[in-house]
Amino acid sequence: MVVASSLAQVRRRGRFGLTVQARSEARWGYFLVAPMMIGFAVFSLFALLASLVLSLTSWDVLSSPKWVGLDNYARLFSDDQFRTALRNTALITAPNVLFRMIFSLGLALALNTDIRFRSFYRVVFFMPVITMPVAIATIWKWLYDPAFGPINAFLARLGFPRPEWLANPGTAVIAVVIVLLWSGVGYDMIIFLAGLQSIPKEYYEAAQIDGAGSWRRFRDITLPLLTPTTFFLMVIAIISSLQVFDLVFIMTRFGAANRLPTVVYYVYEEGFRNFRMGYAITMAWALLALILVFTLLQFRLQRRWVHYA
Amino acid sequence: MTSQRSHRLRNLGLHIVLLTTGTIFLLPFVWSLSTSLKPLSDLFQVTPSLIPSEVRWENYRDVFVTAPFGRFYMNTIFVTAMRTIGQVFIASMAAFAFSQLHFPGRDALFIVLLTGLMVPEQVLIIPRYVIMREFGWIDSYQGLIIPLMFSAFGAFLLRQFFLGIPRDFLEAAKLEGANPFQIYWQIYVPLARPALTAFGFLVVLWSWNEFLWALIVTNRTDTQVLSVGMALFQGEHFTNNAILLAAANLATFPLLVLFLFFQRQLVEGITLSGLK
Repeated sequence: MVVASSLAQVRRRGRFGLTVQARSEARWGYFLVAPMMIGFAVFSLFALLASLVLSLTSWDVLSSPKWVGLDNYARLFSDDQFRTALRNTALITAPNVLFRMIFSLGLALALNTDIRFRSFYRVVFFMPVITMPVAIATIWKWLYDPAFGPINAFLARLGFPRPEWLANPGTAVIAVVIVLLWSGVGYDMIIFLAGLQSIPKEYYEAAQIDGAGSWRRFRDITLPLLTPTTFFLMVIAIISSLQVFDLVFIMTRFGAANRLPTVVYYVYEEGFRNFRMGYAITMAWALLALILVFTLLQFRLQRRWVHYA
Repeated sequence: MTSQRSHRLRNLGLHIVLLTTGTIFLLPFVWSLSTSLKPLSDLFQVTPSLIPSEVRWENYRDVFVTAPFGRFYMNTIFVTAMRTIGQVFIASMAAFAFSQLHFPGRDALFIVLLTGLMVPEQVLIIPRYVIMREFGWIDSYQGLIIPLMFSAFGAFLLRQFFLGIPRDFLEAAKLEGANPFQIYWQIYVPLARPALTAFGFLVVLWSWNEFLWALIVTNRTDTQVLSVGMALFQGEHFTNNAILLAAANLATFPLLVLFLFFQRQLVEGITLSGLK
């Protein structure tokens, strides 16, 4: 009570009640946060507002924007291309997130042992994470080359047909998911390893004394205590998967003639190829809404399966 | 006895699994390296071989002849350096003030900043492009650098770190007559060096590989960066895949070296922040 009332008093004294020293400190405070806040105000807050307004217009950049109200939003629901983009994004996101979790946890478990060459393996699995996505797409596009790529040469040797990986949507989704896994698993592995290392050893020792086998120890100690890490990684993986762009852009742009537009790809096409800025922004908002829904849903569901120690 | 044997058996299994996955993970890099050294005739083999029929180092020289790759390289280095210095400096200054100084409206400002973390880039990218047009910053270094110099995430991360430094340092330095900027620069920056380096590495990594913004804000080769240059020159100028992959390797190489040398800082930064 005393603290609260004295706090209120300090507040009431306001700007003019500050001592000379406190006023100087406040001035320095504003000065030091100014660059950040000004940049943020211009490039994030103002941009966000402008984005909302522009989504209510039809605008080709050259002439001035025309007010169209909610037309862009209505169009989302009747636009087949947008629906295709959504479907492609979903088809990429679901298997990517699922297998990313499984593989990265598997690798983290394997490396959380006393096995030799641990640090070497860690580097190997992590290398794709730091590789430029454009370079990754370029390399894999060549690996997937239907006529001269090593993947098809390998398949042909085993007697399989040589698919045109990136030329039709079905195989292109598989191809993209494989590349996403290759380039993303190492990151999750590092985080899982950190999670594994934070589990107190005593838990395992106690369980062993109680006669729990390694499977029981994994199921009853490791898995539950890793759920916060898993939750965090899943949220991140879904968000980044929904925003996938560089890979599909490079891998399917040439030859395949836009066979696999994802949502962000379509935003780019509409905005910067067809110059329909208003509609492009509206799609970006739809993406934001989707991300928010998924994230909120996960936070809702976490109560059912995430254990916080 | 038996537990030792099962232990050894388990390790053998692990080695097999890790060796197989490790090889699969390395193969794309190895194949890219081998392709980049092949003569053109080697590229059109229906059963390609890993070993080039002859090693053609000239492919790496040709990268710079086929496209203004040297320019892309310099642009990428310059832009990455500026963004990194800018982000670390601006974010750490703000983080210092938000965590150590008292001023009216401090927490409200910080909360506003935090909301920015949740908005994905795609929603902001078109308005930012419009702002760049108004400023006349299309095809300029300012356009590439300045809009991406303000990291709310960085301010958040570093504030967490600064909160762990006792305010006694500040009070003591104040008695000595130092102003808050001097205190920030001479006491807090050195104390926070591990966190600042970790954050700096993340910015380098992200900035070097950044694609979408650079693609939108630059149209001329003299301001384009590696990622954009490589993307746009595909299929037009790089008709020889050996040269294209040499370019991809050249674009990857500096970060790989950096990673191998500063592995621990980078991994620490990543686990610290959980950011890619």
